Amino acid sequence: MRKVVCRCEDLSEEEIVHAIELGYDDIESLKRYTGATTGPCQGKGCLMHILRILSQKTGKSIDEIGITTQRPPVNPVPLYILASGEEK
Amino acid sequence: MNVAIIGAGIAGLATAYFLAKEGAKVKVFEQKFLLHGASGRNSGGLTAQFNDEELIKLALRSEKLYEKLQSEIGFNFLLRRNGYLKLFNSEEELREVNLQRKFGLKVEVLQAEEVKEIFPDINVKVFRFASYYPKGGVVFPWAVIWGLAKGCRDLGVEIYDFKKAEVVVENGKVRGVNTGEFHEADVVVNSAGAWSKEINEKLGIKDDRTIIREEICVTESIKPYLDPYILHVSSGLFLSQSMRGEIVGGIVGKQNGGINSSLDFLIRYAKLATNLVPKLKSLAVLRQWVGVYDEGIDGKPVVGFSNVQGFYQLNGFGRKGMSIALACAEKAAEEILNA
Repeated sequence: MRKVVCRCEDLSEEEIVHAIELGYDDIESLKRYTGATTGPCQGKGCLMHILRILSQKTGKSIDEIGITTQRPPVNPVPLYILASGEEK
Repeated sequence: MNVAIIGAGIAGLATAYFLAKEGAKVKVFEQKFLLHGASGRNSGGLTAQFNDEELIKLALRSEKLYEKLQSEIGFNFLLRRNGYLKLFNSEEELREVNLQRKFGLKVEVLQAEEVKEIFPDINVKVFRFASYYPKGGVVFPWAVIWGLAKGCRDLGVEIYDFKKAEVVVENGKVRGVNTGEFHEADVVVNSAGAWSKEINEKLGIKDDRTIIREEICVTESIKPYLDPYILHVSSGLFLSQSMRGEIVGGIVGKQNGGINSSLDFLIRYAKLATNLVPKLKSLAVLRQWVGVYDEGIDGKPVVGFSNVQGFYQLNGFGRKGMSIALACAEKAAEEILNA
């Protein structure tokens, strides 16, 4: 059975574990190497799973691990909407 | 020989790799995680279309080194050479092509209308001329750093992440670095990018480089659509498609900006990008971020020993790091081994 933990990038729990074992064992490096949290959901659907797996594998608490930098926009915004904004 | 390298970006890691191949004992210190600095935040444009002989030669050498390192290390940098397009609005901007051709660069000069043959959906009303370098392209910067780090580790280089290193100098000569723990070294390399200036200033080394802030964003992924990397010189707009399918783009940075992502940038970028490529307009922006880089005087990198004995400068790459840093690292390794 394949446990999918990131639907945007189609990543399974096994793949996350594998990346941690390769040494990508801080949250920012793990995010970049696997692509988790960088798809359309921007982590809303997967970050908690990634944190849980990283915590279980490394023995670090969720607080110690921290979370990835949250980058705008909160939800995807089409370019034509942005282009209708006013420039300062 | 013991070498301590500060900064695990493309310059620092490539230098570590070249040194270790010749048997040096190398340690690399990164203050945050790998990819935290400009090597992890840029758009991966590769070109040799510069207005300076030295820069052109460094870029040409770097082209070869990308091929060599990918196969030597056995890591795919996700590099595709589908061309680099520079769009110009005046004949004066176009003049750099003469110098590039003098040094053997095969670059084509195109009228705006002719650019449609390379990318049909481009709005030719936005610019007048273009220079097209078919061997330019796009690389995935993250893969370059992962690959170089792997190559380094395979050769026994120790890479320390989350370790801020302070240079230790005694009687005008480097002794090593301090990270809370002392690491002895014959040579210390300052390849800390935007942070290398403060390292120099702490040592009393005069540093005239400017620190520049640049904003970038990515859209959702689409199937392969945009082949070349595009830079519109007068507006500073750049965009390309990554191997993941995202349209990666931004506006060439300015000195002394704030460090946060801005909505103002997104609006400006969206206007410029959809004006140049109207078909992009329904694509959604997923994520934006900021990168900082250091630029040497006249846009030239700073590569060489400083007046502190054993302290080597390898910085000032501006926004050309992915295009020239490998060749600079090769030169640095050579000079360090011969010192």
